[in-house]
Order: sequence, then C-alpha cells, then structure tokens
Amino acid sequence: MLAAQIFAIAIFVIMFVLVVMEKFEKHYITLSCGLMTIVLVFGICMRDLNAIIETLNFKSIINAGFWIGEAPESAGIDWATIIFLGGMMIMVEGMAKAGFFRWLCMLLAKSVNYKPIKLFVAFMIMSAILAMFIDSITVILFLAAVTIELAKLLEFNPIPMILSEIFCANLGGSATMCGDPPNIIIGSKLHYSFSDFLTNTGLIAGISLVVMVIYFYLIYSKEIKKQTKNVDTSKMPKPADAIKSKVGFIGSTIIFLIAVVMLITHSTTHLSVAFIGAFVAIITCIFNFKDLKEIMSKVDYKILLFFIGLFVVVGGLEQTGILEAIAEFISKVSGGNIYVMVAIIIWISAIASAFVDNIPFAATMVPIIQGLSAGNPALQATLAWTLSMGTDIGGAATPIGASANVVGTSIAGKNGYPISWGKYCKSAAPAMFIVVLMSMLIIYFRYC
Amino acid sequence: MEKQIIITIGREFGSAGHIIAETLAKRLGINFYDRKIMDEIAKQNNISDKELAKYDEKPRSRLFSRTVNGYSNSLEDILFEMQSKFITDKADAGESFILVGRCGEKVLGDRKCHISVFVLGDKEEKISRVMDVYSLDRDKAYEMMRSHDKFRKAYHNSRCESKWGDSRTYDLCINSSKLGIETTVDLLEDYVKTRAMGMK
Repeated sequence: MLAAQIFAIAIFVIMFVLVVMEKFEKHYITLSCGLMTIVLVFGICMRDLNAIIETLNFKSIINAGFWIGEAPESAGIDWATIIFLGGMMIMVEGMAKAGFFRWLCMLLAKSVNYKPIKLFVAFMIMSAILAMFIDSITVILFLAAVTIELAKLLEFNPIPMILSEIFCANLGGSATMCGDPPNIIIGSKLHYSFSDFLTNTGLIAGISLVVMVIYFYLIYSKEIKKQTKNVDTSKMPKPADAIKSKVGFIGSTIIFLIAVVMLITHSTTHLSVAFIGAFVAIITCIFNFKDLKEIMSKVDYKILLFFIGLFVVVGGLEQTGILEAIAEFISKVSGGNIYVMVAIIIWISAIASAFVDNIPFAATMVPIIQGLSAGNPALQATLAWTLSMGTDIGGAATPIGASANVVGTSIAGKNGYPISWGKYCKSAAPAMFIVVLMSMLIIYFRYC
Repeated sequence: MEKQIIITIGREFGSAGHIIAETLAKRLGINFYDRKIMDEIAKQNNISDKELAKYDEKPRSRLFSRTVNGYSNSLEDILFEMQSKFITDKADAGESFILVGRCGEKVLGDRKCHISVFVLGDKEEKISRVMDVYSLDRDKAYEMMRSHDKFRKAYHNSRCESKWGDSRTYDLCINSSKLGIETTVDLLEDYVKTRAMGMK
C-alpha cells in the first residue's frame, strides 16, 4: 500500500503544480493524471480492479436512484455533478444567445434611472442573486461588460463596481447547491439538497450580503459619487434592444424558471441534480434546435473533462487511505473539539482557495470531512457548510482565487481599466476576512 | 516611402538596436514606435503610463495570474494585447513604421510589407556601450545587460512559437559591433529599399 500511497500523492501534487503553471490545458492535465492514477496506483501498485470500477463509477449512472429517488453511495467520478454542470451550461448558453443577461442588466440600470450609486448597490445584489442559480463566470461576463459600457456613458470609474460585483457573485454562489462548483461537489457527494444549502449556507450568505453591501458602499461610494455627471437617459441603451429573438427570450426565461423551481423543490420531488441538469439541457436543445450547433460549440466541455480527471485523481487518494489519514490527523490536532475543527477547516479552506483553484481543494476535502464526521450526520452537515463557506468565500480574496475574479479582472483590463493585485486585494481581502469570520461565528452559534 | 513598409526590430540589450531603429526610421521618413506607444495607449484608455510601464515587455507571472475560458487576468498579457491592437490598427490603416521589440515579428508577421530584423552585438562591445550610456561600472553594466536580455527572452518566448534571437525567426540578423551604428543603418537601409522594390 505504501507505494500506492506515494504514487497517489505524487500524482496529485504534480497535477496541482501543473494546473497552477498553466503550461498545458487543465483538462489534459487532470485526464492524464487520472490515467496515471488508474494505471500506476490501482493497476500496478494495488492490482485492484474493484478500485478502478469504484473510481470510474459508471454503475452509479444506471442506478434508478441516480436520477430519481434515493441516490446511491458512491466514490470516484461524481457523474451527477458532471451531468448537472453540463446541463446548466447548455441552458445558460441558450439564455445568453437570446440576450437574457444583457436585457436584465439594462432593465435594472433603467429602473434605478442610471444613478451610479443606486446602480452600484443594485448590481451587487443582482450579481449575488444571479450567481445563486447560474455559474458566476457567466454572471460576471455580462455584468462586467455592461458595467463598463455604462461607466463610459455615465463617466464613472467602473473598477469599484466590478470588484464589488465579483465579490458578491462569489458570495451568492455560496448560498446554493448550484451556485459554485465546490457546492455541487459537496451537495452531490454528501447528498444535500438545494434547500439544505439555502437554509444553511444561504442564510449565512444572506446576512453577509447585507454587511458586504454596506462595506463596499462605505469604501467606494465617495469615488463613484465624485465622478457622477448628469446624463440624458433617453440616449442610454434600451433593455428591449438586448433581446435578439422574442421567442428565444421567452423560451429561455421559461426554461430558467423551470430549472429554478426544480432545484428549489428537488428535496420533495426527489429528482436528482443529474436529472434536473439533463432535463434542462434536453429542453434547451429541443427549443433551440436550429441553433443547436452554435449553442453546443460554446459549452465549456473542457471543464467537464477537467472534473472527470480530477475525480479520478482524488479517487486515488481516497482508495489508498490518504484522505482518511488526513482526517485522522485533523481529528487528532483538534482533539475532537468541533470548534477547533470548524476553525481549521474554514480558515485552511479560505486561505488555500484564495491562491489555488477551489474545485480540486473541495473535491479533496469532501472525503476528509466524511472521515472526520465518522457517521455523525449533524457533524457532517456542520463541516460541509464550513467547507462550503471557506472555499467559496476564500476564492474571492485574490484575483486568481475563483474563475469569476479572473474573468472580471480580465474584462476590466481589456477595456482599459487594469486591476492590479494590490487594487484587488485592498477591498476583497478584508471583505473575505470579515465574511469568513462571520461565517465561523454563525456556524459556532447555530450548530455547535 | 510610397509603398507601405513595416519593419520590426528585435534587439539584444546594449546592441544599439534602439538607436539603429530610430535612425533608420528618420532616414526612411517613417514613424518610429518603441515604449512610447504606451503613452498613446495610456492616453486612449485614460490610464497612468507609469502604471502600464510596470508590465511592458514582461512575461506573465504564472503564479499571480490565471486564464479562464481564454480570459487572462495577467496585466502583462492585457498590455500585450493592447499593444498588439495598437500596432495592427496602425498597420491596417496603411501606415509605414518601425517598431522596436514587443514581439512585432509575431504580431505583424504575415504581412507582405513586413520586414523583421534582429540586432545583436559582441559581449564586450555591448558591456562598454551600457557602461557609457548608463554611467555604470563593468560589473553593474554586465548585470543590467544580462537581466534585461533574460526578461526579453522570457517575454518573447512566452508569446511566440519562434525563439528570441534565433536567426530562423527573422528575415535578417545583424551584429552591430562589426560595422558600428552608422554603417549598420546604411546596410539596413539598402536592404529595406531592395526588399521594398520587390513588394507589390
């Protein structure tokens, strides 16, 4: 077993380093490392066919519970996460093609009469709400572009708005199971529902959002106010002009609402996230049959392949008992004290996620918290919400912590508003610290 | 010059590539672009040129930036994109010019009116030139030369498939130490005029 453990750790470390270095595309790295795990760890070192079957986890898909009812216990590749993510991506592409996001941004801007301060607050809240249901990359992609467009027309500096939108997108993502990839992994692996997240991390995120709106208002409102000028609102872009096709717009809005309803009710309907993902993907494809090729070409299949490889590599750590050993170590350090466990998980998750991709981190930590909770469901839930808040909010602290941050700062830079590390971290790092501290205290107060 | 001609010049630090490029531009009566293009980019985008200068001709930091779906948040990458756009806009508008550095041979490589040149020099000649220009002692001049070339090479090779200073990357490589600045410019002028005659 020792050789298998050494290889599993070495492959995991190599994967992490290569992902950070970005020499090769991320999905090639995780898939190659996944293949190495299967061949070297499971095949040559362990000679265990069962470990390969368990990690590839194909059998879970043919189990009825995978789609409707009680989900089967599984390790390795989390196909539910992959199908759900893929389905949501297809739905979001359909919405983007119809002009939904631009329409929503412009409608909101018009409703606050293009007043920069009101716009600033409204876009923060919209960013958080949209990110609860849609991946934060898409949210920021549209929000940052519209913010820059409006900033040029209204002559204000868009950087404070973009920075607060990015933070709120990360915060909104932490509120639901589908808001951020770590939450999908946590929810899917540990069998938590959309409403489980909403009533736990959602509550923490809601309270934090109020505090963050005040925080960003206090630090940025002066900067935005001083650049305000009177504008002729009749010359501003009209929301209706954003709609590329009325039928497409209505259709994609209905599909989005169906997805939201299905997600909110899935704990009572017992429809799994895999079912919801597949369902919204199929109806989006049927509805956009003519433009299917265009929509499918925009779906980021690379991230799905990245996930598949990642799950196999993490499966290597799981099957060789490495993650169990880490769980035992944390348990020993904390002396079984839940306060210490929560503090360790939330701060390590937050700090690590600020610098490295939070998806591999969350995928690695889920089996660890399973080990730490040792079959105690209340403890497992507490640690799951802790991990979720740590990884989701930690990622907001630096320009490289989460995908939304990268996309937002990239769009700003390309449009002539470069955002340096210093400028980004000046507001985001203290904000992260405040929210993580608040989350820890709420978790202590509510669950410990 | 009547025909559009674009010359991109890569150079080793201390090889006098910059002054050679500037003199050649004057002789040919065409515009000359170097790091000053950042002033225009800064003005166009209402950014401080000092802020931009920090990221000019530098490779991206792999530890402090990431790329997601083709969106890079490296300020070095973003500035490179801005500079590339500035240069291609000038070229598309039919302007003739000389550009120093900034991976010009890659950005403008496939145009028929484009000539790429690399200016190198002998080590001792380059050191003594750096000592003169920057009033440094030999050790400091050598260190300055070594570190600038290291950054230029890393910057170029991180953005181009071809290698910095490799003769296969350029139409012409010339050692300025052998002929001196003026004669090197003479030779380049002749070369450019001969090439221009063959351009449609």
